[in-house]
Amino acid sequence: MDQTIICRCEEVSLHDIQHTAATYNCSAREVKLRTRAGMGYCGGRTCRPAVDAVLEAATGEKAGHDIPMKVQPPVRPVSLSVLGGEVK
Amino acid sequence: MSMKNHAEVAIIGGGIVGCAIAYYVAKSGIDCVLIEKNDIASGTSSRCDGNVTIVDKDPGFDSLMSWKSQELTIELNKELDLPFEYRPLGSLLVCENDREMQAAKEWVDIQTAAGLKFNLLDREDLRQESPYFADDIPGGLECETDSLINPYLFCYSLIEKAKQYGLKLQTQAEVTNITKKETFTIETTNGTFTAKKVVNAAGVWAPFIGKMLDLDIPIIPRKGHIMVGARQKPIMMRNVMEFGYLMNKFGRERIVDKRTEQHGVALVLEPTESQNFLLGSSRQFVGYDGRIDINVVETMARRAMRFYPKMNDFTMIRTYTGFRPWTSDHLPIVSEVDSIPGFFIAAGHEGDGISLATVTGKLIDELIRGVSDTIIPTDPLRFDRFAKVAVTQ
Repeated sequence: MDQTIICRCEEVSLHDIQHTAATYNCSAREVKLRTRAGMGYCGGRTCRPAVDAVLEAATGEKAGHDIPMKVQPPVRPVSLSVLGGEVK
Repeated sequence: MSMKNHAEVAIIGGGIVGCAIAYYVAKSGIDCVLIEKNDIASGTSSRCDGNVTIVDKDPGFDSLMSWKSQELTIELNKELDLPFEYRPLGSLLVCENDREMQAAKEWVDIQTAAGLKFNLLDREDLRQESPYFADDIPGGLECETDSLINPYLFCYSLIEKAKQYGLKLQTQAEVTNITKKETFTIETTNGTFTAKKVVNAAGVWAPFIGKMLDLDIPIIPRKGHIMVGARQKPIMMRNVMEFGYLMNKFGRERIVDKRTEQHGVALVLEPTESQNFLLGSSRQFVGYDGRIDINVVETMARRAMRFYPKMNDFTMIRTYTGFRPWTSDHLPIVSEVDSIPGFFIAAGHEGDGISLATVTGKLIDELIRGVSDTIIPTDPLRFDRFAKVAVTQ
């Protein structure tokens, strides 16, 4: 169970999150930044509910919109050329 | 009042500057408390990139400060227990045209004459750095001593060590009022603290702290956007800025399209330890509105493709914004305030906070202890330098 992967993109296990929260006795946001849980390619679209639930259990913080995992644009990955326009 | 809430020195602000101050002051054996309204590194210090650079500093005092910071960072990499992704690889400045190339040559000569490790790079050198550069980029320059760090991990690491030296940490405590009699009384949303000395290290929020003591601190938020690119093929190892970044920073004239100028956009590319990469940058005066402006992001993407056209199919996964604490002469304020003895300011490091945090922390520790032979000269950083000059953007 410990080795269950919570965040696939950054390969963060349940143990990583629980251990970090216990070691540093810190906020959900700090656990996220220290472990990179939810900071990978999926931008949380796959892992958010799991990461939120584990962080809430580990830190006691309820997941809000801002903390622990603020949704940052773009909503899904886009190529540089979509943003910057193809070179014509 | 319990002793728990009294300290010799109270530091307001848990960004990289406040964390560095806390580390050096606690290390000197001074009883201190750090008061932060949210979390450690929850403002500008987690909404930036991670350069400890000289490459973008004006030769002279500006580059001296960064040089001292780089020396301190080398020490900290050995002293601190928690790693902070320190990568001393040097960094690059790239030129868009021959005119910038000419300026780059002069830049290298000046910096080399000042004893700094700068080298000019030609087209072939750049090709060695990265296969993704546009073919028509004529060259650039490198500074060998520049390094990269992860700013928020650096903050955590400094705090961890500072606590071992006795630092008291109070997060989730927003300062609501400060009064001064024999000692300072600092009221917060999470308790009241007293201290003999106070350091205002609140970055772009430093003016609000100043107002509580009827002090006008001329710092203005300058907003910057950054994109996060997903790990794909390695682009390059070292940090890159374009020469125009210097022009933007110091408000000098550039030859670019209107939108690029309007949004203050200049290329910055930083490979991160996680193998993602950061793409910047923008600089705008829009108050404290932190929303992402897609128009600015598009301008940044277009600018990135000017230098790296072969990266057009690389994927961007995130964007964020941060507020850089701007001052009119592009130098921070690191100084005691003459009219309020015991009140210090360490803020206003626009775009240089990561580079200059350590030297700032060390200097504040020296000022507090009354050391006369300080790590860098203190005059250029004095608060009263603004007294006779009106602040304009």
